[in-house]
Amino acid sequence: MVDQVQKEFRKRDLLYSGALWLLSLILPDPQLHYRREYRIRKRDLFYLSVLLLLPLIWKDVHFHHLMVLAGIHGILALGLTLFLGYAGQISLGHAAFFGIGSYTTAILTTRYAIPSFFAFWASGLAASFFAYLIGKPILKLKGYFLALATLGFGEIFLVMVRESPGLTGGVIGIFNIPFFSLAGLVFDTYLKQYYLVWGVLSGLVLFSKNLVRSRIGRAFLAVASSEDGASAVGIDVGRVKLAAFVIGASFAGLAGSLFASVMSIANPETFSLNLSVLIVMMVILGGMGNLYGPIAGAIFLTCLIDGLSRYQAYSLPIYGVILILLLIFFPDGIGTRLRVRVIYLISYWGRKKRREKVEI
Amino acid sequence: MLLSVEGIVKHYDGVRALNHISFQVRKGTVKGLMGPNGAGKSTLFHLISGVERPDSGRICFKEKEITGLPTHEISRLGVGRTFQTLQVWGNMTVVENVLTGMHSVIRGGLLSCGLSLPWIKKREEAAMKEAKDILELLGLFGRWKWFASQLSYGEQRRLEIARALAAKPEILLLDEPAAGLTYPEAKQLADRLLRLRKAGLTLFLIEHHMGMVMGMADEVAVLNNGELLAEGPPDVVKNNPLVIEAYMVRR
Repeated sequence: MVDQVQKEFRKRDLLYSGALWLLSLILPDPQLHYRREYRIRKRDLFYLSVLLLLPLIWKDVHFHHLMVLAGIHGILALGLTLFLGYAGQISLGHAAFFGIGSYTTAILTTRYAIPSFFAFWASGLAASFFAYLIGKPILKLKGYFLALATLGFGEIFLVMVRESPGLTGGVIGIFNIPFFSLAGLVFDTYLKQYYLVWGVLSGLVLFSKNLVRSRIGRAFLAVASSEDGASAVGIDVGRVKLAAFVIGASFAGLAGSLFASVMSIANPETFSLNLSVLIVMMVILGGMGNLYGPIAGAIFLTCLIDGLSRYQAYSLPIYGVILILLLIFFPDGIGTRLRVRVIYLISYWGRKKRREKVEI
Repeated sequence: MLLSVEGIVKHYDGVRALNHISFQVRKGTVKGLMGPNGAGKSTLFHLISGVERPDSGRICFKEKEITGLPTHEISRLGVGRTFQTLQVWGNMTVVENVLTGMHSVIRGGLLSCGLSLPWIKKREEAAMKEAKDILELLGLFGRWKWFASQLSYGEQRRLEIARALAAKPEILLLDEPAAGLTYPEAKQLADRLLRLRKAGLTLFLIEHHMGMVMGMADEVAVLNNGELLAEGPPDVVKNNPLVIEAYMVRR
C-alpha cells in the first residue's frame, strides 16, 4: 500500500516539477535584481518571441491600440524604476518629463517640419536637460520632501503649458502631429506602432540591463541602501541620484515623443498628476528593483483601466479594491512575487493532496 | 606624516565633543585610538572622513588640507573607513559590495556603461578578479555569491573592510572593527590587519579590545571627554595614571 502511494507521488512530483520549469521560463525571477551577472537569457528570448507573435495571432485593433499604450507606459515605468526601484528615490513629477518629450516632438515636427526620427532623440535630450536643471537643486531633498518638490514641479509644468498658448497651444494643445516615419516607412496603423513602441522598449530594457549591472547600477543600489557607506568609498551621492533622475527623465522624454506621434496630439490634460501617480503605481504594483516588474505593472494597469472603463461610475471603486487586494497579496509586486506565489500555491495543492492520501 | 590633525574643536549644541585635539599618524604604522564611551572617538573619525566639519582646526592628509572637503573626495584621495554601525549594502551580493567599493577605480560613463562597450566589459572582468582576491584576503571568498544581508555579523564587519580596501586607500580608519566579535574572531581579524599593514597600509583604529590594541598598535592615543589624555607607545600609555583613572575608576 505504502509503495503504491509513493509511486503515485513520484509521478505527480514529476508533473509539478515540469510545471515549475515551464513557469520559470515565463514568470519573472523573484530576485531578479540581485542577479546582476545576467546576460540575455532564455526567458528574454521567450518574452521577445511572444511580443513579436502576439499581435499577429490576436488581430484585434483595439488590443493593438491598448498594447501601444501599455508599451509607452512601460517605457515610463522602466525609467522611473531606475530612479525609484534602484536608486531608492521618489518622484511624483515623472509625467512632466513625459510632457516635455511630447511637446518637443509636437513643436519640432509641426512647426519646423523636422523628421520625427530626429525629433524623437531631441525629445529625450530635452527631457534629460530639464531633469538636470530641476534635479540639481531638488535632489538634495530626501523622502517626503523630495516627493513634494517633484509633485510641485509637475504642477508648475502643467501651469506653464496651459498659460503659454503661443508655444504649446495652451489648454487646447497641438494637433496633427505627423506619424513616426523612418526611411519612408510611416507608422500609421496600430500594428506598426505596436512594433515601434515595443521595439524601443526592448532596446531600453537592454540598455537598462547593461547599466544596472555596471558600476553605475551598483552605485544606484549603494545609494539606496546606505548613503554613508556609498560616500565612504568615493561615490558622489548627489551625482549618482542626478544620473538616475536624468536617465529616468530621458526615458520619459522618449516615451512622450512616441506618444505624441502615435496619438498625433499633445494636450496638457494627459500629463497631470494622475499620470505621475499611475506610473509610480505601475512600478510599485509591478515590483520595484527589477526591470520586468514595472513593464508587467504597466501592461496590467493599462488593461485594467481599459477593461473597467465600461463600468463607468463603478470603475474607480472597483479599481481601488483590486489595487488594495493586489498590494495585500503581492506586497513585492506582481512581477516579483508571482513566481514565488504560484510555486507556493502549486506546492500547497500538492502537499494537501499528499496529506489527505496519507491520512487514509 | 600621512595624516595630521591640528587643534580640532567640535561642539554639539554647547557640548564640547572635541577640544583642541592634535596628533599625527606616520605612514606604515598602526595607530590605536582608545577612550571610554562618549569620549569623542567616532566624532573624530567623522571629522577626518568629512561626514562632519570641525568648528576650527585643520586636518591634513599627505601635506594637503582636507578640512571641509566632501566625503567622497576625501575617500578618493586615499582615506578609507569602516563604520561602527554596519553600513554594508544588504541589497547586493558580497562580491558586488566589493566591486562597488572600486567605484572610483573602475571608470566609465553613463552611456558607455549602458551600451556595455567592449572596454567596459574588460574593466569589469579585471575588477571582478581583483574583488575576488580581496575577498580571499579577508576570508570571504566562499561567500562571494551570498547577499551581504545573509552574512553573519563578523563576516559583515570583514566585508566592510574588504569594501574599504577595494577603493585602494592609503590609510584605513577602522571604527571598532572587533566590536561584537568573539575572542578567536578578533584575534584572526588582528592577524589579517597586520598582514595588510605589512603590505604597506597605514591603519588608524578605534578599539575597546585592550589586548588587540596593545598587541597591534605602534602608538596609542587616549581620549576622554574630548581631551587627549595621553599619547605614545602602548606600554607607556597603559601605565599612565590618568588613563587608568579614566578607564577604571570613573566607570
